[in-house]
Order: sequence, then C-alpha cells, then structure tokens
Amino acid sequence: MADLLMFHGRECPHCKRMMPLVEKLEQETGLRFDKREVWHEEKNADLMRSYRPIIAAKCGGQLKVPTFLNPDTGEAVCGEMDYDKLKDWALKQS
Amino acid sequence: MKKRYWRCFVCNDIHYGVAPPELCPTCKVLNAYVEISAEEARKILGGGGAGISLTADEFRAAIERFAAGQEFQVNPDREKVDLLLNGIFENERNHGLKYCPCRLRTKEWDEDLRLICPCNFTIHETYKGVPDGECWCGLFVRRK
Repeated sequence: MADLLMFHGRECPHCKRMMPLVEKLEQETGLRFDKREVWHEEKNADLMRSYRPIIAAKCGGQLKVPTFLNPDTGEAVCGEMDYDKLKDWALKQS
Repeated sequence: MKKRYWRCFVCNDIHYGVAPPELCPTCKVLNAYVEISAEEARKILGGGGAGISLTADEFRAAIERFAAGQEFQVNPDREKVDLLLNGIFENERNHGLKYCPCRLRTKEWDEDLRLICPCNFTIHETYKGVPDGECWCGLFVRRK
C-alpha cells in the first residue's frame, strides 16, 4: 500500500492539533502519512486539487484541511477528530 | 445568475451583485446605479492614491464589529485567532485575497470567492443547528 496522504495548512489550527496525533499513530501502528502542506507549497496544492472530486464528495463539497486520503482506494476523511477515530480510519485502509 | 458591477452615479458607491440596490446605502438616492465594467470597478475600488488596506489588528477590529450583536462571536481563544489571522494575511499576500487558511482554493474564481473570510459559515454543517457551532476554521463560534 502507498503511504496515506495528509493534506494540511500551516496556519490551520485543526491541522496543528491533528499533527501530534498523526505522529503518535505512525509510531504505534507503523503506518505512514505523506504530509503535504497546501497553502505554501503549490505542487502540494495541485496534488490536492487533483483529488478534488473524491475529497469534495466527502468534505462538504470543498477542499478542506486537514484531509486524510488513501490514494489507492479514494477513501477520505477530513477535519479534526479524536485519536481513536483517526486510528480506526487508518487501520481500515491497511 | 451572473453577478455584475454597478456604480452609483451620484456618489460612486460600487455594488457587486445580480441586480443593483434600489437605494444607495451611502447617499440614499433612489435608482442611482448603472452597470459598469469589472475594469472600471477595479480601478475605483483600487483607489487613486495609497488605497485602503487593513492591518491584521484593523481586520480583527472589523470582524469584532461585524460579530457584535450577532448570534456568533470571534473565538475568545486568542492564540487560535492569531494563528488564523496570520494565515488569512499570508493568503492575501500570496494568493490575492483573504482566503480561509483551512480550505484550499480551487483556482476557479467564483468558487473561491466562497472562501474569503468571513465566509457564509452560518449555513455550513459545522455551524448550522450545532449548539457549539463554529465556522470551519474556528475563527467564529456560536455566542454562549
């Protein structure tokens, strides 16, 4: 399986809060998230836009951050969530 | 319906919408608006001199005034607001408008106008009907 993707913004407080949870999850499970900042790195923004139909369908029609995406299956979830919810989602992808 | 630009022929108030206001909110003259080009609107709104820009502190004061008396308020979490305002101004510098730092612009002009802060968050799923509702980024929260 390819790495899961995490799209985030440098000045997004939800992303800031999720980052340590993602790192904890990586350590605990061995899963890896490819973390892409989208407001200051245009190539990352373009990558996120390339998944717009998938992400928008799951995220209220918009490209919200943070977004967690399995690029293999198109499964996506967005927003701030607790550790267990993120872990459940991530483990389902493996 | 496509929005267009309108100018009050008396006081040069500019309106962007599908139809002009009947009453000019600035000079109170009736039926005073004429359709103009986007270029003319840009030139007028751009100002002839230094123009009118807002610092982060002035923007903070503007959204406080905007929220006064509403069912929502600016988030009392000062640290979160500071981070968001930093992002909003970074986006204005780098991408031209005060886009929400918690959503990515699509590069479609009309679609991205929905991301300018403050956005129409009261219809969003994170706010509408939610007791502790907030806008997507958390800059505005339902007043307790």
